[in-house]
Amino acid sequence: MKIVASYNVKGGVGKTSTAVNLAYLSAADGRRTLLWDLDPQGAATFLFRIKPRVKGGSAKLVSGTRPIEAGLKGTDYPRLDLLPADFTYRNMDIDLAHSKKLTLGTLLDGLADEYDVVFLDTPPSLSLVSENVLRAADVVLVPIIPTVLAVRTYDQLTDFVASFNGHHPTLHAFFSMTDRRKSLHRSVLTDLPQQRTGISPTAIPAASLIEQMTVRREPVPVYAPHSTATKAYRSLWTELSDLLG
Amino acid sequence: MLAALEPAAHRYRFQQGARRRSSVTYLDTVDRRLRKKGLSLRYESDSDSEVLVASAPDGIDTTELGEAPVWPALAEQLPAGSVADRVGPAMWVRAVAPVVETEVVSREITARNEDDKIVARLHWQEATANGSPTLARVSLDPLRGYAADAERIARLLADSGEFVVPERSLAEVWLRHAADDEVERRPTITAGMRADVAVATALLGFLDAIERNVAGTIDDVDTEFLHDLRVAVRRSRSVLKLTGDALPERLVARGARELKWLGDATTPTRDLDVYLLELDELATRLTVGTRADLDDFATHLHWERTVARRSLVRALQSKRFERWCESWRQSLTEIVSSGGSEQSGSVEELARDRVRVAYKRVLKRANAITPDCPGERVHSLRKRAKELRYLLEMFAPVCDRKPHRAVVKNLKRVQDILGAVQDGEVQSASLRVFAERMLDRRSASAATLLAMGELSAGFAGEQRQARDELTDALPGFLGSSVHKRVTAMLP
Repeated sequence: MKIVASYNVKGGVGKTSTAVNLAYLSAADGRRTLLWDLDPQGAATFLFRIKPRVKGGSAKLVSGTRPIEAGLKGTDYPRLDLLPADFTYRNMDIDLAHSKKLTLGTLLDGLADEYDVVFLDTPPSLSLVSENVLRAADVVLVPIIPTVLAVRTYDQLTDFVASFNGHHPTLHAFFSMTDRRKSLHRSVLTDLPQQRTGISPTAIPAASLIEQMTVRREPVPVYAPHSTATKAYRSLWTELSDLLG
Repeated sequence: MLAALEPAAHRYRFQQGARRRSSVTYLDTVDRRLRKKGLSLRYESDSDSEVLVASAPDGIDTTELGEAPVWPALAEQLPAGSVADRVGPAMWVRAVAPVVETEVVSREITARNEDDKIVARLHWQEATANGSPTLARVSLDPLRGYAADAERIARLLADSGEFVVPERSLAEVWLRHAADDEVERRPTITAGMRADVAVATALLGFLDAIERNVAGTIDDVDTEFLHDLRVAVRRSRSVLKLTGDALPERLVARGARELKWLGDATTPTRDLDVYLLELDELATRLTVGTRADLDDFATHLHWERTVARRSLVRALQSKRFERWCESWRQSLTEIVSSGGSEQSGSVEELARDRVRVAYKRVLKRANAITPDCPGERVHSLRKRAKELRYLLEMFAPVCDRKPHRAVVKNLKRVQDILGAVQDGEVQSASLRVFAERMLDRRSASAATLLAMGELSAGFAGEQRQARDELTDALPGFLGSSVHKRVTAMLP
């Protein structure tokens, strides 16, 4: 079982869209896939039309008193399940601090026979939850809006992960919400891959079609299978699939 | 279809998918081993996919197929995967072949909640087999985490009175139909029959078994077709020997001659089958040699089997066999249809008389067995025990069931030990013959001959052990309790 996190300390950069669309493509590709919506706002949960509630909440889940399997929900798509968001996830930092033995990684170990890939959709913060996510992940997908500040944040993340002892996840950054009409976007898109390693050649466009996910409540490849956005997500999935092996 | 789901429509929105046509072939071994063990195996094909599905009480396994399978198939010929793992042990050495072929029209219907989220999938199936009435089934698959919705839908549909929970799955229905057909065809002895009619009825049953196994033997579907054919021949010969005087003399004389010819024609192939089936197990007994050392032996056995099978197939396809089967059936059917000869006694009288005689013969030979007596005595006891067993099984319908079952069980135990004694002796001797033939053909390596020698020594050791077990077991069979049971079971 491989764990993929969609992470950026900044909000509104396309983390949830990435997690939802790639999890869908992973399942469509034949991999048994789970998406865990760790963001208490529950956007990914909403997109799959699932109620944002986990019985017992974060405390019981993180302490292991309620098995993780009990909270799993089947989505409308074969081989794709979701562990929904819950408003109590806002306290997950505290729950993780209280739980001395369990981490998100050890909680997921129990699902190793059931899933090939687990996607973690994370809240935008640098907290104990996000540190747990980064330590558990095999690959961290980092959506970057092509701006100078966003690049700076990516550098901070790279340095933070480099400071880990032992396991280091593979960081796979890609440009998100790109708008080629903007000169700054064009220049960052050209320059950054030359200056940094681990930057994907794939760019997810800023498209209204992607924004429509919240109205249609479906992954983009379901309602626009031949769109530029879907092609970009497919390309990103191919890269990720190679990284996962 | 959706109208039928109306009772649940106020809580859920149902949406039907495209119609799908598929062929579903239910498979089993000829002796229905899978069904007896609560398993079902089916091959499903439609325009998109071909799959093999094994159902058991504790779950379902599916293996997708890259190409159309060929039936019949032995366990090792099934595509590798969870299905083969599930049904393989139950199949044993038997091949699976189509039992029922059905055409299925199906639709998937999704049930959505107030958020338009799918909470369950209903599978609507309409199946027919060979022009039989259409069977409709709706199954309900809850999505993970939505069991309560699925239960509610099931309850709403059940409460409407339009749906009933079926007692059996489609697989069970079709396979049960097939099993009923088989039972109806089987002739059986009944109480009050005249002796000649009873004997002819039993022989007709054995003839059915012979004919039922001819095609499978000729096509070499699996080794047990030949085995079952041989058992039916042996049973027929025993019945003729022990009760043949109830039938016209000329008929019995010809039957005995032809059955002996048929038995002799089948022996070489069966002996080789036994070796080949046991080869892997035999290899585990080697302490010095390895399985690879027996490769030349296996190749030789296959070669001899090919030669032996040619003769066997020629015999089974001969005019002689065909004519005898026809005339044998005709003569036996005439006796049964006539209601029997007025001079003939009842089946009960025949059973009483012949079982007692056969039992006494077994006792006499068993009493002569000592740990060091010649092997021929054991061989003779084995033959008489086999005859008694066949006789007991033939007369089972007119015997008292409980003591009959106990006597057969006891006899079976003795037969198993007798088999072990004699098989060890025969196999040890035939290994020597095989080794000589392999040397003649220059097809044996030194390692193979050494491994065969090791096996031969092993057989001799097992035979000695079986002789001791036999001496210990016989008093139990000869005891007064068994004698009482034999008396109690007879009509």
